[in-house]
Amino acid sequence: MTPLASMAGAVLSATPWRLERRLEVDAKRAALTRIGGAVGAMVVVGILLLLTGRNAFLIFWQALDAIFGRQRGVEGVALRAIPILMTALGVALSLRMKVWNIGSDGQFLMGALAAVGVGIHMDGPGWLVLILMAAAATLAGAAWILVPALARAYWDVNEIITTLLLNFVALQLVTWSALGFWRDKEAAVIQSTREVPFTLPGIPGADSVTIALLVPLAIAAVLWWVFRSTTIGYEIDIIGGNPRAAGFAGIAVRRRILVVMLFTGAIAGLGGMLQLSAPGAQAMNAGFSAQFGLSGFIVAALAGAAFWGVIGGGLFIASMFYAGIVLQTKGLSVYIIFAVYGVILTGIALGEIAARYRVARRDAADESGAAADEAVAARKGAGP
Amino acid sequence: MTGDRARPAVETRGISKAFGGVAALDTVDFEVRWSEVHALVGENGAGKTTLCNILAGIYRADAGRVVVDGAERDFRSPAHAIDAGIGMVHQHFRLVEPMTVAENIHLGWPETPGVVSQRTLNERTERFMGEMGLRVDPTAKIWQLSVGEQQRVEILRVLARGARVLILDEPTAVLTAKEAEELFAVVRELAAGGLSVIFITHKLREVLAVSDRLTVLRHGIREITRPTEGATASEIARLMTGEERVLDVEHRVVTGDPALELRGVSTLNDRGIAALRDVDLTVRSGEILGIAGVSGNGQTELAEVICALRGMEAGSITVDGADIASMSVRAVTDSGVGHIPEDRIGMGMVTSAPVKDNAVLHSYWTEQFSQGLTLNRQSVIDFARKLVEAARVQTRSVFATAGQLSGGNQQRLVARREALAADRLLVAAHPTRGLDVNAAQEVRSTILDRRDSGCAVLLISDDLDEVLLMSDRIAVIYEGRIMGVFEAAEADREHIGLLMGGHSITGAVA
Repeated sequence: MTPLASMAGAVLSATPWRLERRLEVDAKRAALTRIGGAVGAMVVVGILLLLTGRNAFLIFWQALDAIFGRQRGVEGVALRAIPILMTALGVALSLRMKVWNIGSDGQFLMGALAAVGVGIHMDGPGWLVLILMAAAATLAGAAWILVPALARAYWDVNEIITTLLLNFVALQLVTWSALGFWRDKEAAVIQSTREVPFTLPGIPGADSVTIALLVPLAIAAVLWWVFRSTTIGYEIDIIGGNPRAAGFAGIAVRRRILVVMLFTGAIAGLGGMLQLSAPGAQAMNAGFSAQFGLSGFIVAALAGAAFWGVIGGGLFIASMFYAGIVLQTKGLSVYIIFAVYGVILTGIALGEIAARYRVARRDAADESGAAADEAVAARKGAGP
Repeated sequence: MTGDRARPAVETRGISKAFGGVAALDTVDFEVRWSEVHALVGENGAGKTTLCNILAGIYRADAGRVVVDGAERDFRSPAHAIDAGIGMVHQHFRLVEPMTVAENIHLGWPETPGVVSQRTLNERTERFMGEMGLRVDPTAKIWQLSVGEQQRVEILRVLARGARVLILDEPTAVLTAKEAEELFAVVRELAAGGLSVIFITHKLREVLAVSDRLTVLRHGIREITRPTEGATASEIARLMTGEERVLDVEHRVVTGDPALELRGVSTLNDRGIAALRDVDLTVRSGEILGIAGVSGNGQTELAEVICALRGMEAGSITVDGADIASMSVRAVTDSGVGHIPEDRIGMGMVTSAPVKDNAVLHSYWTEQFSQGLTLNRQSVIDFARKLVEAARVQTRSVFATAGQLSGGNQQRLVARREALAADRLLVAAHPTRGLDVNAAQEVRSTILDRRDSGCAVLLISDDLDEVLLMSDRIAVIYEGRIMGVFEAAEADREHIGLLMGGHSITGAVA
């Protein structure tokens, strides 16, 4: 049990009710409890805003109107969602194997940097350059996690530290390129690389959103299928659940860990290229990644590494960020907005936990099952 | 606290303890005198550790009384027990590895000064070690110490808290022979100094070597308490193992081709110490070869080495004539080897995954379930449903996680799954450990069915009753060596019990 659930259990212990773990959590319930958590959090936020003398209804209306009231809003959300979705998908894949890739920011940056390198140095038809940029970004993202992946797979070195620290190295490399070897000497800003002269084709009817939006959707679909219907997905889930059992089943655990980690880096790296190939974002500077990796990590964790959940969660968080920016222009303080983000994310996290439990009436029949399990465990542990 | 030396240091009167309706201890009377080493003897699951856990305040008894030095006590936590002078050294040490010996001994000790320098800690530790006559370098980090030294630190830790009754749970299980000898000397000295030591073991040699008196527990019931002087290993072995038989199994003498052959196999355990030494074994199709032995004598490694989960140092293993040395785990499985692993939760299943995924853990790659990369979900679900029904696993759905199943249901699932995978050879390690009578019988009939349909079975169990009941032939293992192999008809319980304890036929220690 999570500490929170045991706290809730302790509160209930004085009542005829008790907290019971669900045998299985279906996708619908998982989604509903999270939405419930977000809605509940927004009610709390609304009450707090009202108590501090702000018109909560107006603020919520402004937020919804900013997102859904005009095409620019929908496109703004989509643009913000793409990098978050890409890093979140990479992290979600790693979480399926209980590997914590905290370095998707760095892989994202390196992917973008490789794409810039190809884009500013290659001549040729735009479609070809863009494909090569995507390939370079994918490889660069994978390369950026290669050392942590090898260390984790073959020497059991904790990947959290290694992937996290490489983020800072990637950031320095980007700064160096923007200030140094790929600096745009004609631009007004000092810290920027030259601009890639190509962009991905736009989605018909959209002003700024390109077909990049389809990429995370396609990746989510592929991953969903892999984990639903292939032996590879099955093996990754088994490794995540119990590596010793995976070895028992003859799965090459170490090699799988290596390959899957490379894939998580590759997805984040490709995300960097997608970000770079949007109109108006074709050069890199130090502010290129607004910590998309961190947002992606939150999305993946809150979605419980379910790939469609990542898409839904990524779009939600992008909407939330977009609304936050619009509300700032309407005079709401940035601190309040950050606090609101926090409350809403906490609400979703609580919803994630709530999905796994139900409140049941306490009776003898319920307890006997648990007691029998306990007995078996105790006898097993009792030893000689 | 040591008032009247004639009064027992600790006694229990009519202690009972059940776990979920299964009795672990049944009205046990037990008594330890001052200045004695009292061996608590019995097979796995006999209740030795449960009894001591009650004395040490870890469990509370369902019925009965605990009397310490004349005063009745009701321990609600280990802290209460240590206040009353009872301390336990567990089989698995509870030391902080990166910290020094002195720090570990002072950790959580009420007498540790609030502000203290490393030097004072070391000096205090030195002084205390001097008083106790037990030496370890106080400045050494725990991880730098040998297992024997770590155990000494554990003992010092317990003594520092004023323990007058010291409980040692299987203290020699982790020690080398030399370290064990040193421990015996320490234990004798502590007793000579006025302490009482309860020494849990199932090694007969140790009982005879170290104890003043002994108590034998069997299936939660006290069989006897007597002075060690005059006791023989065979008498203790008989009391430990009993004579009962639950189910009549027809034993066979099979002369067919060997399905499994081990020649001169040696291997190391996880700590790099020899676990199997020059083992020769043959299992023929249609027979059960039982491995009798006290756990920790190489059985785990034996099962793993056969299933290619562990490498060999020397020797060869063939399944149906094919050398498995160059085979992967999967290739061994594909050649018709099933394996009910000793640690079903740690190795045999994924508790966080649904029952259906666990049902195909050892076969998901076969044509029945996958074509190329794709895994046929529906055939997995159908198979899982059938398996659950055939094995009579009680679960609400095959989509529920395997962790939600009770231990008996988990083992029924694993046993049936592996029996199905085993065309040629089934390796069953402690297949009924921790199961109630019904679940155990079902798992046993699953294994017997495989034998009757011509599969070779290697049955590893530390329950001698089970080995004698099930096996057509019996091999006894002790410290990684095969001590002897017997046909079921000529197997003598007492003789096997002696071999399990390391005594050869003449009574000499191997």
